[in-house]
Amino acid sequence: MNEAVVASGITKRYGETQALDGVDLQVATGEVFGLIGPNGAGKTTLVRALTGTTPVDGDIRVQGVSPTDVRTDAIGLLPQSFSPPARLTARELIGYYGGLYDSARDTDALLADVGLADAADQWYETLSGGQQRRVCVAIALVNDPEILFLDEPTTGIDPAGRRSLWGLLESLAKSGTTIVLTSHSMAEVERLADRVGLLRAGQLIAVGTPETLIADHGGPSRLVCETPAAALAESALREAGFSVASGEDELVVDDVSPVDIGRAVDVLAANDIEYDSLTWTEPTLEDVYLRLTGETFAGADTPGASVVAGTSELPPAESIQ
Amino acid sequence: MSRLRRIRAESVAAARSFLRRRTAVFFTFFFPVILVVIFGALVRTQPTDGGLFAEPAAYYIPGYLATVVLFTPLSRVGSEIARHRDDNRFEKLATTPLSRSEWLIAHTLVNVVIIGVASALILGLVLVLTDATVPVTPRLAMLVPFTVLGVILFCGFGAILGRLADSQDGVIAASNTIALPLLFLSDTFIRLDQLPGWFAPLVELSPLTYYARGVRAVTYEPALGDSFGVELAVLSVLALVFFVGGALAIPRTD
Repeated sequence: MNEAVVASGITKRYGETQALDGVDLQVATGEVFGLIGPNGAGKTTLVRALTGTTPVDGDIRVQGVSPTDVRTDAIGLLPQSFSPPARLTARELIGYYGGLYDSARDTDALLADVGLADAADQWYETLSGGQQRRVCVAIALVNDPEILFLDEPTTGIDPAGRRSLWGLLESLAKSGTTIVLTSHSMAEVERLADRVGLLRAGQLIAVGTPETLIADHGGPSRLVCETPAAALAESALREAGFSVASGEDELVVDDVSPVDIGRAVDVLAANDIEYDSLTWTEPTLEDVYLRLTGETFAGADTPGASVVAGTSELPPAESIQ
Repeated sequence: MSRLRRIRAESVAAARSFLRRRTAVFFTFFFPVILVVIFGALVRTQPTDGGLFAEPAAYYIPGYLATVVLFTPLSRVGSEIARHRDDNRFEKLATTPLSRSEWLIAHTLVNVVIIGVASALILGLVLVLTDATVPVTPRLAMLVPFTVLGVILFCGFGAILGRLADSQDGVIAASNTIALPLLFLSDTFIRLDQLPGWFAPLVELSPLTYYARGVRAVTYEPALGDSFGVELAVLSVLALVFFVGGALAIPRTD
């Protein structure tokens, strides 16, 4: 494998805080590598280490050389919390940063790529938060880099803008650009990344494709049934061989394949059990994240719901399948 | 060409950013104007009375010009560095071909233009509002190198301040604290013989002293016979030292 980035034993301390603790990482040329982890896990420090903007202990090679020796026209960086001069227009900002390189991408084409053609002549400070972030992404792309480091590129961007940027990043990846991106959006990483690294407390605790990580750490698929007859439903489903845990008016059936959804519905119907909703969820990268980081979430919607059935007036199980 | 292209891009962006901050533009020019109006036009001490402002009005031209040559680069470059750091712009620039010295050259160029315009304005105001006259001789052309060297020097100084201070507020406070004593104790508004004898050597330590003496030697009729070679040489060396120090002080990593 032709490695674009190779890092071994990366360690960084800020006073008493161990920001990075022996991180080993390889990113192949043309690969999209996603870094996830809680706030303070070390993602931004790792990006800074890989771009040579913070000194660290350990060895890092980017395109075979130290990050500070790599050709600057080969690197694109969007730092976290980056703000360019506020009273330049989007067009002027792209022209400014493009002017720092011997050759740069066409400003109008780049503005169109990030969906800012209509706002090109507005001052940066008058753009919405999402538009500002898109200008920042455009600035990172201005030199048409071979390796792109994006630290939370879609923070503050609305869903439509985010999808538009995802499309842009996917097209860059298809054309062979190596991308290292950090994100708190699991959907973003799951969609874009060929491989994902999960950082916790400065350590890279899991690396793999999204599918591998989900299979290894995501836990079982689940069917959640909201019903006023939870006890009765639990008993019926147990008798049918399901693994069930119940709460006051909800029960959770673990390890339910898509085929088993229909069987579970049939069991409920056969026992005249009414229910308010049935929700089937597959494990997602978010489940991997929550399991491996030990974080919990309260009051959040069930992540990764892939089938949401309505009430007991559902069509027969066969049609759900 | 690449270097010129980078410096041009950086200086055009810096100039646009400055010119679009109307408050900054207004006070950059208003501050020295108010000084000229107060000290040159309102405080009209007679030359024979002694004390402050006892010399002919033209004697104080270096002092008036020093307000912009000293204050503007110190506060502007210093706060620009603090702003760049707060917005993670240096982290971004570190991955571009723009070097630290190119960044400082670009911002120094912008300051040279701003301060050149402000200096012309001040000089005009002094001539209009006071009875000062400036003899037009070939020596007067030396005002340009003295001003440029002064700006380079204090841009470098401002870069060092920007590195040392941890915020824009800190830069402003530090630059005022440094600039105000320098402005009055560098052979500008107060003659050496008005200061305690023990203080005179300290005046020699101020970089602004060489700017003030050099400018006086080319703009003040009684001083036209004075040599300005030493002042120009010292100012050149100090400008180089502070520029290099300032360029090295500009942050490239966290």
